[in-house]
Amino acid sequence: MGHATHEVSILIIRSSSQMPRKSLLQRFPVPKNLGVSPGSRIVQGRTWPAPATATRVRTFDIYRYDPATGDNPRIDSFEVDLDDCGPMVLDVLIWIKNKVDSTLTFRRSCREGVCGSCAMNIDGTNWLACTRFVAETRQRATIYPLNNMRILKDLVPDLTHVFAQYALIEPWLKTKTPAPSRERRQSPAQRSEVDGYWECILCFCCTSGCPSHWWNADRFLGPAVLLQAWRWLVDSRDEARGERLDELEDPFRLYRCHTILNCTRTCPKGLNPGKAIGGIKKMLLERRS
Amino acid sequence: MTAAANRPAAAERSAGPLSPHLQIYRPQLTSVLSFAHRLSGVALGLYSVLLVAWLIAAAAGSAPFSSMQTVMRSPAGQLLLLAGIFCFFLHLCGGIRHLFWDAGYGFDLTAIYASGWVVVVASVTLTAIAWFAGSVM
Repeated sequence: MGHATHEVSILIIRSSSQMPRKSLLQRFPVPKNLGVSPGSRIVQGRTWPAPATATRVRTFDIYRYDPATGDNPRIDSFEVDLDDCGPMVLDVLIWIKNKVDSTLTFRRSCREGVCGSCAMNIDGTNWLACTRFVAETRQRATIYPLNNMRILKDLVPDLTHVFAQYALIEPWLKTKTPAPSRERRQSPAQRSEVDGYWECILCFCCTSGCPSHWWNADRFLGPAVLLQAWRWLVDSRDEARGERLDELEDPFRLYRCHTILNCTRTCPKGLNPGKAIGGIKKMLLERRS
Repeated sequence: MTAAANRPAAAERSAGPLSPHLQIYRPQLTSVLSFAHRLSGVALGLYSVLLVAWLIAAAAGSAPFSSMQTVMRSPAGQLLLLAGIFCFFLHLCGGIRHLFWDAGYGFDLTAIYASGWVVVVASVTLTAIAWFAGSVM
């Protein structure tokens, strides 16, 4: 894993963990405040200098928002002593919180990529702060919260809406037949159908990196939720496939997916939401014919 | 429901700023080609109006047609034509790539990137061939 994440590629990206060797553009050539409401506009914040004893300094530009003041969000620049700090981006955030500004707010829990709490936008793409090496970030790295979310504080987005979308697909086993005396059994082949989908940790890196979800977050379910929908559609024990497909067959809920595939490019677990959504579309087509 | 009651009211929570998306997200082959596909589709819609204008000019007689030809032979007209041909081939190649996805193929990340670059190279090459063929005919 450690070796693989350091791989860089010029043209062909083979794994979502790979960083591009060169990016022609670091962001789209649009005005910084294109379509941004006045209250969401980002202003320049302050610089927090490195300690005088620092030996290897790197600057991180971090999105800040304090609901107590209600001021516009700002970008604070933190000079971090990498020799005093762990190797991951999450270590940088914890270092800042412990040693520089204790008000810096972010979610974190497992620090090993299984809980999905520390999903954020690092250098322009979404990833987990705990599994992104500082060595892979730019010389002047940027850290924003997940995109297109209402921000509660600093790097903490309000996930109420995306979890409501998750609840909409009713992510639990639904059966009509009487419960057997023991568990509902699956063959290894049937079980393998959910491989690559059950591993989703609901970090919402993909959903918040999806342009279609940026434009239609209110009605388009987004890649994370649709991947979960697929996970239940292909579960051999589930007996509600028809009803599930009925709920998904909608111009907005499902078909706002235009196969952009930013989701598959960004998934920090290396899953393939794009393929899952393609599977749902194909299943709906097969049902109709 | 008690958990929900402990959280701040929905109105209060939604008062926070919206985090930036298009403004800061890194352009990648995935999103750039998708945007290009849709924009070239819109452009082709406009080009079809130009094509109809061209045909009307041809039907209206030699004088309107020759003035239309003068416009299209000017440097700006030639640039417009070149861009139109490129839009056509980009949209065609991108459309074929979408057909593969619709059939369930090409979703692995390696295939996504390989087919993406094939679309870029093929549309540039086909534009060059079409331009060359048009200039010698």
